[in-house]
Amino acid sequence: MSTPNAPVADEKAVPRGNPFRSLNFSGRFWIALVLVVGVILLGLAGYVYPTGPGEKVASLYDPPGAGLPLGSDNFGHDVLAVLMAGTRTSLIIGLVAGIVATVIGVIVGLVAGYIGGWFEELLMGATNVVLAIPSIIVLILISISLPQSSVWSLAVVIGITSWPWTARAVRAQASSVATREHIDVARLSGARLPGILLRDVLPYILSYTVMAFVLQVAGAILAESALSMLGLGPSGANSLGIQLHWALAFQAVGGGAWWAFLPPTIVLTLVSFGFLLLQSSLDEVFNPRLRRGKRKQMKQAAARRAEEARLLAEQTARTVQGPAGAPRGKELA
Amino acid sequence: MSESAEFPRPGASRRRFLAGTGALGGAAALAACGGATGGGGGGGGGGEELVGVGNGGQAGTGRAGDGADQLFIAGFQWSPPTNFNTFAGAPAWPASANVAQYIYETLLRFHIVTGELLPGLAASHEITGSESITLTLQEGITWHDGSEFTAEDVLYTFELGKIDPSLGVAAFWTEVDEMTADGSTISIAVNKERKNVGAVLNSLATQFIVPKAVFEKAAQETGNKIAGWETTEAMGTGPFTLELADQTQIILARHEEYWGKDFYGGLPAMTKIIHPIFKSNEDGNLKFQNGELDVMQQFVPQIWKMWESGKPVGTYLREKPYFSPGSMPMLLINTTKPGLDDPTVRRALAHAVDYASIAETAMSGYSSQVLASLIIPDGAEDQWLDRDKAAADGWTFDAAKAESLLQEAGYAKGADGFYAKDGQKLGPWKLITPQGWTDWNAALEVVAKNLQAIGVDASTNFPQQAQTQTAIQNGDFDMACWYVAGTGPSTPWQRFSDVMSNVEMAALGQTAYRNYGRWENGEVNDLLEAAAAASDDATKLEALTALDDIYRAEVPAFPLMYRPDEFFEFNASNWSNWPAEDNDYAPPMFRGAGNEWIFQLKKIGG
Repeated sequence: MSTPNAPVADEKAVPRGNPFRSLNFSGRFWIALVLVVGVILLGLAGYVYPTGPGEKVASLYDPPGAGLPLGSDNFGHDVLAVLMAGTRTSLIIGLVAGIVATVIGVIVGLVAGYIGGWFEELLMGATNVVLAIPSIIVLILISISLPQSSVWSLAVVIGITSWPWTARAVRAQASSVATREHIDVARLSGARLPGILLRDVLPYILSYTVMAFVLQVAGAILAESALSMLGLGPSGANSLGIQLHWALAFQAVGGGAWWAFLPPTIVLTLVSFGFLLLQSSLDEVFNPRLRRGKRKQMKQAAARRAEEARLLAEQTARTVQGPAGAPRGKELA
Repeated sequence: MSESAEFPRPGASRRRFLAGTGALGGAAALAACGGATGGGGGGGGGGEELVGVGNGGQAGTGRAGDGADQLFIAGFQWSPPTNFNTFAGAPAWPASANVAQYIYETLLRFHIVTGELLPGLAASHEITGSESITLTLQEGITWHDGSEFTAEDVLYTFELGKIDPSLGVAAFWTEVDEMTADGSTISIAVNKERKNVGAVLNSLATQFIVPKAVFEKAAQETGNKIAGWETTEAMGTGPFTLELADQTQIILARHEEYWGKDFYGGLPAMTKIIHPIFKSNEDGNLKFQNGELDVMQQFVPQIWKMWESGKPVGTYLREKPYFSPGSMPMLLINTTKPGLDDPTVRRALAHAVDYASIAETAMSGYSSQVLASLIIPDGAEDQWLDRDKAAADGWTFDAAKAESLLQEAGYAKGADGFYAKDGQKLGPWKLITPQGWTDWNAALEVVAKNLQAIGVDASTNFPQQAQTQTAIQNGDFDMACWYVAGTGPSTPWQRFSDVMSNVEMAALGQTAYRNYGRWENGEVNDLLEAAAAASDDATKLEALTALDDIYRAEVPAFPLMYRPDEFFEFNASNWSNWPAEDNDYAPPMFRGAGNEWIFQLKKIGG
């Protein structure tokens, strides 16, 4: 701040500490990462697990033991094999739906926030209308009317019903970015609208978009389970929600077959908890004001800044006085 | 009234209801425990030997208080009872058609084990060839209000089918030309063209007889729209009267002046029959396990766990499959679809399905080995069944055989793993059945997997019930799991008609009432007529066997499993002498001849 017109090269020359330190990954981030990676590994483990999810290896609700680590479900399938396949499906649905929702939401939000005026009113009006309708009802209606429900169609359906929150958040950010000076510069230099949106607006809200995406993934996984539990899930597939659906339908809860409904419930809890934790810890990374252990960090940062200022001052002194005036510079310091 | 078994009056809070049932549950659980330890020594427990108790030989020690004289039943009513008009769309239990002979009774009673038609309101029935049926009414029958029951009431009940043709009883008049009475003798002239005595007997054994005085008034009030009439009263001839019906339960009280005291050898053993209304199967199953329900017809997966854990729970058959088969859910095939119009393909499909797996998982083991026949084995229909033929010309689960059949028919496996001939792929086909019919949903999941395994592209789809039914009736489906006639006085003929009849074939898009798969065959109608009109058993057997042969050769549809007509499960916590194969004085049913056990149950406690 003291030298706003200092050459860029100089600023780069300022020594900094470990570059990762400024990213400030908290313990929560690592816990979240372990959870998410663990669930992804569980899904991938299905590829090496000897039993397939569609193989009948036992009878109705055989308890765990004898080669079945988690017992059998109502079809006589190995619960662990089904759990692995179901986790994979749920993750795929979450990812696809998250991408679809984020893409739609970012496009609508960017365009509305940047262009503004009646166009913004129109887009946000539509967004608010969609927002006001409970998405689970829209989801159920669309799922019922689909002639054939597959993993992909379900993912897309979930995606196109969950974008409004992202759109609203992105619009708020985009409209603030739109008033900044560099946008005017870009416009004056002849950049077109898509170029401005992509190169000059989007990068400023990218961190926000990433977090919204993570939230959308977690939301989509839960939406899929809710639909599948109602029996509207993808046909011929395994997913955590479908597992719960059959466990309920064949009265696993009343019959004491805990191995049929607890594992998918736990995985579902872990995966959505993991994603939410990941989102909130990323938020801390991107938004310095939310950082934890703030006082300690602020002290460290203050010390760092003081050190930088001292070095800068030395440098300035050197430039002003020239090499010969070094002793005077020392006095100044 | 006592505390323990009393259910709340209208206006009682939910908490009080819970407290009440909780107290009852506690008492019953204690009772059940006592019984289990008592019976553990071997046999009935207590001083005298009890019969008709749990499958593990256990019996309870009985409830205390008024509950000891009451029978708790469940599985028939799932919503608050609003209408007791037996002709309405969805009347409440026990006024809904043919559920139980507690308030209303039928002229004849069907016995699902022997296949006999036992006397009910009619003391006897006589069949003359395929022309007429003569009924003689019992003597001294009275309505609940004390008025006399006459042949006029019977005639008027069936007459209602003419007064309001939208009623189910109207179907009676397609099979009957005339019905007349002379004193207490009723003569029925069977339709001369259709000669379908079985269908007429079926109506006589399932139609509740209602009081003319009451329904004449109702017809006046509603302008002959009987189906729309709403009433909270039900006056019949049966051994119970409707005492109370509210959101949580329906209570029937014993009618002390019941006409059948002598005929059935006394009044029913219980003073009241109470049907608590549950929200889900699970609520009821839990109460049943704890002895808070005495008898019910809900689907309980792995019911054997109940007696293995010491509960005095029992079924009619003491060993697997525990329930005798009474109906056969079919995989209907739309024979107008390219590929499915080929009998060899249909036969290959029948070979592809793993019936044992369906029986074991989807039906929780309650189904015996499915035979390649439209006749249900082991019960009332067994006499018509030719097991050797069913085994010799039929099909069993054999995926390799299924594929070789497809290859014989000229199909070759494509790059996508599915069989095709002349560019016509086998699939993609949808297997439909209503959402929430869980055992059928699960069965179709197994079928879809099996068909995929032999190279036929099939996947499941579960629309709502109404949608499924419309799709099936209009022929707008590929394959579907659906029901056909369950065991009754008119089966197996009725089932052959349901699956194969070419009478009044409905075009695609129009509503069909039989042969939903639109399967065409020139011989079937004559054989069906011959079987219906057969005057002696030998001729009937010959026609039915010929029909079964065509069925096996053409496979217009095939059964996936057997289901009991009604799940009959009892808990001997408070009552003993339940009907079972070792105590078979009554059939395992609630409707028809299933009223007999209510007179014979024995109270265990004091």
